[in-house]
Amino acid sequence: MEGGRIMSSPSLTRKFWGTEFVSPVMLASGTSGFGEELFKLGCLTGAGAVVSKAVTMKPRSGNPPPRLLETPFGLLNSIGLANPGARYVLENILPAVSNLPCPLVINVAGESVQEFADVVSVLKESGVHIGYEINVSCPNVAEGGAAFGVDPEVVFRVSEAVSQVADRPFSVKLTPNGGDMVQAAVAAQQGGASAVTVCNTFLGMMIDWKTGKSVIKRKVAGYTSPALLPLVVARVWQVSNAVSVPVISSGGVSCGQDVLQLLAAGAEMVQVGTRLMRRPCAAGELLDEMKKLTGEQ
Amino acid sequence: MILKGGRSNLQTAGDYVCTVLSSRQVLPGVFSVEFESPEISSVALPGQFVQVEPSPGVFPVTRRPVTINRLTESGFELLFDVVGRGTQLMARFLPGDMVRVMGPLGKGWDVDQDKTWLLIGGGLGAAGFQFLVDSVRSSGVIIGASGADRVIPVQAQTVHIVTEDGSRGSRGLVTALISEELLARADSIAVCGPVAMMEAVWNTIPEAHRSKVQVSTESRMGCGWGVCDGCSIPVSGGGYRKCCVEGPVFPGDTIDWKRWKEAGL
Repeated sequence: MEGGRIMSSPSLTRKFWGTEFVSPVMLASGTSGFGEELFKLGCLTGAGAVVSKAVTMKPRSGNPPPRLLETPFGLLNSIGLANPGARYVLENILPAVSNLPCPLVINVAGESVQEFADVVSVLKESGVHIGYEINVSCPNVAEGGAAFGVDPEVVFRVSEAVSQVADRPFSVKLTPNGGDMVQAAVAAQQGGASAVTVCNTFLGMMIDWKTGKSVIKRKVAGYTSPALLPLVVARVWQVSNAVSVPVISSGGVSCGQDVLQLLAAGAEMVQVGTRLMRRPCAAGELLDEMKKLTGEQ
Repeated sequence: MILKGGRSNLQTAGDYVCTVLSSRQVLPGVFSVEFESPEISSVALPGQFVQVEPSPGVFPVTRRPVTINRLTESGFELLFDVVGRGTQLMARFLPGDMVRVMGPLGKGWDVDQDKTWLLIGGGLGAAGFQFLVDSVRSSGVIIGASGADRVIPVQAQTVHIVTEDGSRGSRGLVTALISEELLARADSIAVCGPVAMMEAVWNTIPEAHRSKVQVSTESRMGCGWGVCDGCSIPVSGGGYRKCCVEGPVFPGDTIDWKRWKEAGL
């Protein structure tokens, strides 16, 4: 059996990036803030880690509404990387989440290769987070606007720039929208990434046929759905066969069986995102389901 | 019962399996569902909402946010319009059904027990008014609708009804009933309805009374508890506020009506 793993009884606790995780489930960027809200709701029980919403150098207020559209089988989002900027996150948000019951990974976005490194340089003054996730799906504004992630050469440069300043591990979150994801993953690894995340949202659009206009203000948006599971499984399987660093899956998860399947496909950690919109306590629910399926106590 | 407060507080919110106690159609396409939930009703404040799972399983992938219309003996009542697939499913709830309901969520009306309220509702916007009327002293409730079959029932001492087709109450728009006398008698003014209606009401209210105005907003929501940034509403001076945790009730002068209307929601 190539790539996929036979897992009669996979262990659910694990050590990743030198940290103990109670579960392979991470909460995907943009669906759990910095973890504070879920902590207040009592929903971080069973969460392996929280991946923060994207942080950029300067504050961003985000895209004009509507930013969301539920489709028959998923969700389109166009939030626009709304965040208060790296300095504010360092000084105000990270101190407030230093007592989370699970590790925090910070998602980093930028408009130039340099911005990724600059954000990491600011945030490394904090000891609260265990690592970074580098979002190369955003447009490379400095060099024409195509997403960084579609060009393996650019992915290499971003990964290299981050690895020169990062004092802790980082994953590069790849894009499924154009380019060769396997090549991009290899490039991320060569640049120094300690993991790759497979993958960001799929480009989607919904049009009101009566007006001919996109329902989302910014026209195209990111699509997430439980129906994406086979697409993510295939990409995790392809990428994990091509790189030696751990693969973190992201997308398609709605039950414990999905998590186990992604682990079998080669993922080391599995992110859940949109499911949290319906089930804020999904991390604990998924862990319970997996324990039942694997017989782990 | 007089309540004080209105702050969003996730620590008092929970995700509960609630039993449907009753379900009925109150107007064509408008449904009332009563849930048993002492957990939610014991901490809920007027203007707060709950997130309802319309079906078991996975689809639709988000819940439906609905404002609590009133508290009942052992829980609360929701009033909602069937507008899409989620609310279609919710209209089929039957007594005895067990449904996931998360709440109470959001920041409700800034309620002060010494104040007298004027309530102005347009269409389904009035579908959360009963809780406020039951919690404060009100000098009047103005309800506007397109026709008699869209007039949300509110039990209060003084209710003024206006319909666009004249089929119930006076003919016209809610703005026609807003008088200096009504505004002067109120210490607080609650407004809820479609964006265009709320903006028209705001523009009708003279400057001198505007500081009394609170508006309850509605937006497409993802989570409902403050993280996805999907429901953000444009505010005066630029930027956005989250409808779900910084609202849904805001002081009237917070909203940037022009940018909010452009969203076309």
